[in-house]
Amino acid sequence: MPEFVTPQLIASVTVIVVMIHIILIGALYLVLLERKLSAYAQDRLGPNRVGPMGLFQPIADAIKLLLKEDYIPKRADRILFLLAPGLTIIPAFIAFAVIPWAGTLEIFGEKVKIVGADVNIGIIYLIAVTSLGVYGVALGGWASNNKYSFLGGLRATAQMISYEIPMGLAVLALILTAGTIRPGEMIAQQLEGQWYIIHQPIAALLFYICMLAETNRLPFDLAEAESELVGGWHTEYSDSMKWALFFAGEYAHIITGSAFFTVMFLGGWSISPVGLWPDLPIVGGIGLILLQFGIVMAKVFALICLTMLVRWTVPRFRYDQLMRLAWEGMIPTALLVLLVTSFVVFMGWTSQMWLASIATVGIIWVVRPMLPKQANPNHKLELLGSRFSPKTHEALTTSPVEPQGLDPVVASDA
Amino acid sequence: MFTNTLAVDLNLYIPIGLLVVMALVFVVANLAMTHLLGPSSSGPIKDTTYESGMNPIGTARKRFNVRFYILAMTFLVFDVEIIFLYPWAVTFSKLTPQSPDAALFLGRIMFFIATSIIAYIYAWRKGVFRWD
Repeated sequence: MPEFVTPQLIASVTVIVVMIHIILIGALYLVLLERKLSAYAQDRLGPNRVGPMGLFQPIADAIKLLLKEDYIPKRADRILFLLAPGLTIIPAFIAFAVIPWAGTLEIFGEKVKIVGADVNIGIIYLIAVTSLGVYGVALGGWASNNKYSFLGGLRATAQMISYEIPMGLAVLALILTAGTIRPGEMIAQQLEGQWYIIHQPIAALLFYICMLAETNRLPFDLAEAESELVGGWHTEYSDSMKWALFFAGEYAHIITGSAFFTVMFLGGWSISPVGLWPDLPIVGGIGLILLQFGIVMAKVFALICLTMLVRWTVPRFRYDQLMRLAWEGMIPTALLVLLVTSFVVFMGWTSQMWLASIATVGIIWVVRPMLPKQANPNHKLELLGSRFSPKTHEALTTSPVEPQGLDPVVASDA
Repeated sequence: MFTNTLAVDLNLYIPIGLLVVMALVFVVANLAMTHLLGPSSSGPIKDTTYESGMNPIGTARKRFNVRFYILAMTFLVFDVEIIFLYPWAVTFSKLTPQSPDAALFLGRIMFFIATSIIAYIYAWRKGVFRWD
């Protein structure tokens, strides 16, 4: 046996092979989950014909997608058009390698970590790889040679790069709190103390919002923009498999992002948010490992369900609102969180980090009214005869009971 | 000293390489299978670019709004700044609180962040972030 085949490598390869299947099948079944949750949110039943409760629906979908035509539009750039789905899905699939799904397994006298690759740049690897997904969208929109796709791709690119900045700053605030960029060490610290969502609630909120924007979920799905750009960057992806790869990538991205959030802010397999009662140990046998894995998966599942319910709770943004939220709302907030955190770390008050979050909210509360006012793009035009924004000093009044201008038809005219 | 800290255990990256290969195989296999299994047909109307049923006018290789370009440059400034902050964040949180070293680290990075905040305020006043 070559010398680089260590027990850790065997364990890592096992984890990778198992997890890529879980994520692939999970991505298929998330479509069903999303359709079911959407149906319940709208008081419908959802897919229930294929198998019990529609459980075989994803399999039927996959077979149908596979048997459909593989088509490249004649005007499109063939190479880039084929490359774009791959560039979307590959980063989404390789990002989870550094996420620890459970603690350290003690088996046959060896200790192995249940993680794909315990590299020393963990968090940076995650951020770097997940942000590669923007290339697929940009290239897909460009290669289609379609005006809708082109505009949708441009918008999606601008959106994704804009929300990467507050995401990076929020992660920086967390790294300052944790003092490490290894996900495993972060979980170990959260097992001893509190979850980092209690230390850094604002950073957690910023990160979650950025995660929604990065995965193009509602309320940030301006990239697709069915109502204005027909489908955005995937308008020309009328064949099924390349389109399916885009969406499998999107769902895999959601799973990875939720796992990332779980590791960073929800303490991995930790079960005591404020450290009031003793937590699960890190090292243990196969039973403990499975328990830890189950807890991580439960948290990831809860986050995914939250992401899907947000879709039916918050309406979609307009594009200028989206950009203002990123650049004039979230980036200053994230910068402020970073500055306050670095000050707290400098003073050595890291155990009272949650007070710093309250102070941050206070600073925003005080400073926000002092900022120069800008023209409100949401102002209503005054319209003659409008019930919602009538012209001031308008003589004409209308009411739904006695609408003016709709005179009853005179009998003699009929 | 530095050889120890910089020596990267490349064996740790073997699973990542395996993962990349698996993802590539997944993508290529799917595209190849749908190419082989699916039907194929074409026609003059099918080959036109979709433009809501109209005859397409020109190509999509058009000039676009310069705002996207300016925004991308602003993003670049911030992203590079954030990349520089990662090693700082790891090192800074390990220093003794309120020590002169920590004060030096904090002061330098505050100056660094302040330069980009000035650029940010300039961009804001210039209206880079206004899309209406």
